[in-house]
Amino acid sequence: MTTCFLASDGLASWLAKSAQTRRVLAPHKEGKAVLFREWKEGDPAPELAKSTISPKGAIIPACETLVKYQITKDPENLSKRSLALAAPTEATPTVLFGCRSCDARGLVALDTPYLKGKFKDPYYAARREATLIVTRTCDSPTHTCFCTWVGGGPASPEGSDVLMTTVDGGYVLESVTDKGEAFLKESGLPDGADKMDEARKTRTEAAKKVPARPDLSKAPERLKARFNDMAFWVAQTSKCLSCGACTYMCPTCQCFNISDEGDASSEQGGRRLRSWDYCMSPMFTREASGHNPRMAKAQRMRNRVSHKYWYSTETIEDGRFSCTGCGRCVAQCPVSLDIREIVQKAIEE
Amino acid sequence: MKIGVFICHCGSNIAGTVDCVKVAKNAEAFPDVAYSTDNMYMCSEPGQDHIVEMVKKHDLDGVVVASCSPRMHEPTFRRAVERAGLNKYMFEMANIREHVSWIGKDKDANTNKASELVRMAVEKLRRNAPLFSKKFETIKKVLVVGAGVAGIQAALDCADAGLQVVLVEREPAIGGKMAKLDKTFPTVDCSSCILGPKMVDVSQHPNITLYTLSEVEKVSGYVGNFSVNIKRRAPYVDFSKCTGCGACMEKCPAKKTPDRFNEFMGPTTAINIPFPQAIPKKATINPQYCRKLTEGKCGICAKICPTGAINYEMKDEVITEEVGAIVAATGYDLMDWKSNYGEYGGGRYPDVITSLQYERLLSAAGPTGGHILRPSDGREPKKVAFICCVGSRDRSIGRPYCSGFCCMYTAKQAVLTKDHIPDSQSYVFYMDIRAPGKLYDEFTRRAIEEYGTEYIRGRVSAIQPDGKGQYIVRAADTLLGKPVEVAVDLVVLAVGVEGAKGSGKLAETLHISYDNFGFFLESHIKLRPVETNTAGVFLAGSCQGAKDIPSSVAQGSGAAAKVIGLLSKPKLESDPQISNVNIKRCVGCGKCVDVCPFQAITKENIRGEIKAQVIEAVCQGCGLCAATCPQGAIQLSHFTDNQILAEVNALCQC
Amino acid sequence: MSVLTGKELRIVGFLCNWCSYGGADTAGVARATQPTDLRIIRVPCSGRVNPLFPLKALLSGADGVLVSGCHPRDCHYSAGNFYARRRLELLKEFLPIVGIDPARFHYTWVSASEGPRWKQVVTAFTDRIHKLGPAPKFQDAVPSYDMPDLAPVAPLRNLSCGANPALEDLKKQLKEALSDDHLFCVVGWQKSFDGLHATPLHMRKPEDVDKLIWGPFNVHSTANMIPQLVNDAKAAAMVGVKRGDPIPPAKKIGVVVKGCDGKWLVELLQEKLIDRDAVEIFAMGCNGTVSYDRIIAKIGAGKRIDSVEGNGDTLRVVADGQEYSLSMKDVAQDKCRACTVPNAPVYDHFAGDPVKVSEDAKPEAAAILAYLDGLTLEQRMSFWRGAIERCIRCHACRNACPMCVCREYCVADSREPHWVTQEDTPVNKLFFQLIHALHLAGRCTGCGECNRACPMGVPVGALKLHAARIVRALFDGYQPGTKLEAVPPFLGYEVEEKNIPEHQIEGA
Repeated sequence: MTTCFLASDGLASWLAKSAQTRRVLAPHKEGKAVLFREWKEGDPAPELAKSTISPKGAIIPACETLVKYQITKDPENLSKRSLALAAPTEATPTVLFGCRSCDARGLVALDTPYLKGKFKDPYYAARREATLIVTRTCDSPTHTCFCTWVGGGPASPEGSDVLMTTVDGGYVLESVTDKGEAFLKESGLPDGADKMDEARKTRTEAAKKVPARPDLSKAPERLKARFNDMAFWVAQTSKCLSCGACTYMCPTCQCFNISDEGDASSEQGGRRLRSWDYCMSPMFTREASGHNPRMAKAQRMRNRVSHKYWYSTETIEDGRFSCTGCGRCVAQCPVSLDIREIVQKAIEE
Repeated sequence: MKIGVFICHCGSNIAGTVDCVKVAKNAEAFPDVAYSTDNMYMCSEPGQDHIVEMVKKHDLDGVVVASCSPRMHEPTFRRAVERAGLNKYMFEMANIREHVSWIGKDKDANTNKASELVRMAVEKLRRNAPLFSKKFETIKKVLVVGAGVAGIQAALDCADAGLQVVLVEREPAIGGKMAKLDKTFPTVDCSSCILGPKMVDVSQHPNITLYTLSEVEKVSGYVGNFSVNIKRRAPYVDFSKCTGCGACMEKCPAKKTPDRFNEFMGPTTAINIPFPQAIPKKATINPQYCRKLTEGKCGICAKICPTGAINYEMKDEVITEEVGAIVAATGYDLMDWKSNYGEYGGGRYPDVITSLQYERLLSAAGPTGGHILRPSDGREPKKVAFICCVGSRDRSIGRPYCSGFCCMYTAKQAVLTKDHIPDSQSYVFYMDIRAPGKLYDEFTRRAIEEYGTEYIRGRVSAIQPDGKGQYIVRAADTLLGKPVEVAVDLVVLAVGVEGAKGSGKLAETLHISYDNFGFFLESHIKLRPVETNTAGVFLAGSCQGAKDIPSSVAQGSGAAAKVIGLLSKPKLESDPQISNVNIKRCVGCGKCVDVCPFQAITKENIRGEIKAQVIEAVCQGCGLCAATCPQGAIQLSHFTDNQILAEVNALCQC
Repeated sequence: MSVLTGKELRIVGFLCNWCSYGGADTAGVARATQPTDLRIIRVPCSGRVNPLFPLKALLSGADGVLVSGCHPRDCHYSAGNFYARRRLELLKEFLPIVGIDPARFHYTWVSASEGPRWKQVVTAFTDRIHKLGPAPKFQDAVPSYDMPDLAPVAPLRNLSCGANPALEDLKKQLKEALSDDHLFCVVGWQKSFDGLHATPLHMRKPEDVDKLIWGPFNVHSTANMIPQLVNDAKAAAMVGVKRGDPIPPAKKIGVVVKGCDGKWLVELLQEKLIDRDAVEIFAMGCNGTVSYDRIIAKIGAGKRIDSVEGNGDTLRVVADGQEYSLSMKDVAQDKCRACTVPNAPVYDHFAGDPVKVSEDAKPEAAAILAYLDGLTLEQRMSFWRGAIERCIRCHACRNACPMCVCREYCVADSREPHWVTQEDTPVNKLFFQLIHALHLAGRCTGCGECNRACPMGVPVGALKLHAARIVRALFDGYQPGTKLEAVPPFLGYEVEEKNIPEHQIEGA
């Protein structure tokens, strides 16, 4: 394990160094929102606020091209056509700088469907491999944060390559993985071992600020028992607007849509796209036949909550909840629907 | 898809400024194009045959022809495509003649533009789908609105062809304005003598149902299947009993009832038969002047009626008729002559009257028994001034057009004046003489040369009473280049004509367009003068534009011919370029229902949900609904959002 | 295939088949020379031209768009061009808000016989486009990511965050109404996870009414769910009913409304999306709501909210142990500052006294509009290019809007018709927002829920506010949601339009 110390006023130049060999994504404040944008040399040092939306878009972009196709006609016989396909699976080496532990843990949850099933998703795999994650541990979790409830914490190292913690005068950078270690070694930053105690203290204080942890261990079995309790689910969801704010904010929501688009050029070509989709939409589960097993809001919310707090405990190897407690869905929901409340009610009532 | 592209040279019309060979070559690269060629004349027989051959040879399922305007030859090529075995809607045209080759000589730019237009057509065709018409039954009955000479002619022609006719007339008797005329130009024969027999034919024809005192209130439905509500005002006389003896008229005490038929030139009685040859020859009561109906007193007519036909309890009624076609023949009314030409004294001076009022004075059945008498003192005028173009051709009052027949009737009235009063002198103040019809100019010359009418070319600036019983008419004589003044005993104004009162409301009821002057809008001013843009509604007579009797009769027959043609087919085919609703996407908000100009969309309950549904036979294919629906649930076939977007995207993409 | 020869610009025309296309043909027959740039798309009627078509063309690279139809009164379909005139005028005046020069869009009326006039129109318009040069492309605009720090405009009247004394009356009315089981549910507000948030409440039994709150955090529009709840009530009534049985009447939906929510209900009724007797409206005068973002801007993000107390103009917030005293003047929502309808226009029950609004209250333009008005076209385009990039197409804005009743089949998601792709390009994302704003024109009551709901802070409400001010200018100050009998302007027409000019092009 390697630790380094980065002075506050050295942040920009250190990022500039990284930007020479990698794309750097860092939090950027725009109005009320904080989101990850490419940081280029010359840009001001980024504010390291928690982002409004999780940075999962760096690994699973909101829209990506899976396949490019091109149809060419034989000039001698226009009816004779040949098809050429190309799958762009290369990924740009990237540093994802300044996300939070809840975000990094989210990527661990995403690894299961994308890497650990029967088929390994080459697009995801390439990006995951090419992205180095520098997580900033939280100093002061907000009142919507509940990372400690679901197996995480403000300084959980899971999913991160480097942890970065605020200390007096700057930050301590601590490698978590081999990749992180190599990265810190090449950064040329001074050693930070002497600051580790202060860093650990900051982390412990931060964990205390997260609201008290209820016992959610019974959540999977209680949600299973409630599967057909539609009165419960209707009551919980009657105010839901069925928009996609919660799912798109979420570090672990993974569902997508596949669509084809033709190119503008006069030859017949096009691309197959994969884009984010939200399970809160009434049309999300509509099948080609027209049948829709989750036409009702109650069914869709039941699916979402159960996915995070029950199904994932059966599908993810270590039985974790796929919710990482980042609280964005609570903070951003236009009607302040609170998943914590739903899960706790499911357990208690 | 496998699309065939055919570029037309049109001789040198296109090829002169467009490299057609290159356009055809460029098209080979377009998506789904399996065959591309150029041809000298695509619309010629060999050209069309080539399309048919190539469709079969290359197994094409869609055809693009780049040539002239689709407004010219789309039907031609659609038929060719059908002969080739394809649905005729799997065809698109690119206009590279009127819109490209004929408007510029830059060959590079034109060739490029033509290629792009072909590309647009290909992209649209790729989203086209075959469309199929439906057949529907029609009702073999026609509604004729207005029983003037045009309406009468239309009704008789339709009835003779075996169709049932419902003839609706607002006045108590048919005949329109022609029934008010004394004699007609250019033959100076008696109007009622020539119209009378036709009117009798109407009343006796077994296929004609006549509703007088009636107006069309509401029309719903669509071509071949209209449902019409006719409001019939109560005549207070049972027509089945009334014999038209006129005894009621003699005894009625309400002798100051205004006489509409006689253009308010004299009073009549509250119960009256408008004129001796009236059809129907039945008395009717004017409810606003009848003492029994307004005050509850009197009742004399009921007492003396030999058949007991009077019934004061009658009520207005609404009759519903189902018809397959409608002919509007509502004629004209005179323009407002009192407020617009105050300088002529109309409405103020009793001896300044309109041409129609003068006709009633000339008519033997009129208020003066055919003697021309001044309204002020009942004396015979010796000097009569006729003023043409009162209202017509006047942009300042919003009537820029010529009313078409006033020059002729003025000449006629001058002739008749001389006949009635041999020692009279008539003066006609005119701007131009319009005498285009058969024997018209000859007639006008007779009025001048044989009957001694003095024609003065110039506008009248003012008419003033001279205090001694005459009127000073002050005008300009432009041929002499001098102002003139004439003292006359009577002034007749040739007031211009406009659409009959209430024509705008009727147009809206029939869903047809009308102009600022109240005339109904024909489908094409030269090529389709008796049709409207509303399927199943036709026009005849002056309601479409001021015209004389021969033209009105011709149009009456013309409209009848169209109706007979329409209803002679056992079934009608609907145009499949209409809107339809994807009920899965429709949320039943009803915006399309509200905006459809033809009420062609209804809200239906389908399996418990409200959905919009298009009445196929009524939809005209404008696409307003498609532009209104927020989620695009209703689409206009052949012009769907995706089809139009395909054209937009073919042009613009970045 | 970009086959422009370098001397042409991309000009797209939408011509109605009956008049203008015929006029263009007539010009061609007469060999009237014209510049070659124009590419004509034939449509049956100018009424078919959804304003989104010219907009799509302009956003996809067109340098100019021309629409031409029959002269008003001469429409082949009798009324199509009357609707087109209103909608295309809206589009023309709307374009500048996103930085598109309105001179690049022209609509006119040319009849089939007016060949020479068509030549003039095409020549003059092409000239104009050439003078303007190639249109700036939205995706190439330099994005401006910074959001301006706009000082909020002063409220029209005193807003208050204190307790409403009539709340007890309201609760009594609700308990009474809920006790005889004629209501399926009543929508109101209740407390949420912290003192700065409320959340919608669906009351079904009289006991539920105890949870009702009324205060500055009641920001949600209770009218949003109404069409859906009306359907739910109908479905609930159908349970156990057999085919052929008479359909039992559904229970009513109760809704507690502020003024803005009340306006939405009127708009829903104007458009006949709900029946008047399907809802029971409980109204109370509203003294204003607060903007969560403004409060956080004052007290700082990430703090634990210990307590919140409102008293008159002052909102006392204790966060992380520290007390903050905030004024409604600073933290009230934008819409409340300009509000002239604090009392629902239509109601069944009214608790307390209506809030008084001064007769000559003239709302100032929203700060964001004043800011955008002060920018050049280029700057505006940069502003939206930067702001729209962070849109994530979650559709919270759409789903928060009570008027979006077709959200399940929204054109944002569909392929039939296919206006936008799934790609998260700036043009696609902007286009969705423009579709939303144009669909809501003449219907949006300015509730600002779309703005509030956006998790990324994209100022989408500004587009709707701009459309609303165009509507007020064109239609004599028309306010959606205030008169039950009014026809929304773009669902109707006048034969003579007082405020829509006939646009001329220099030279035509």
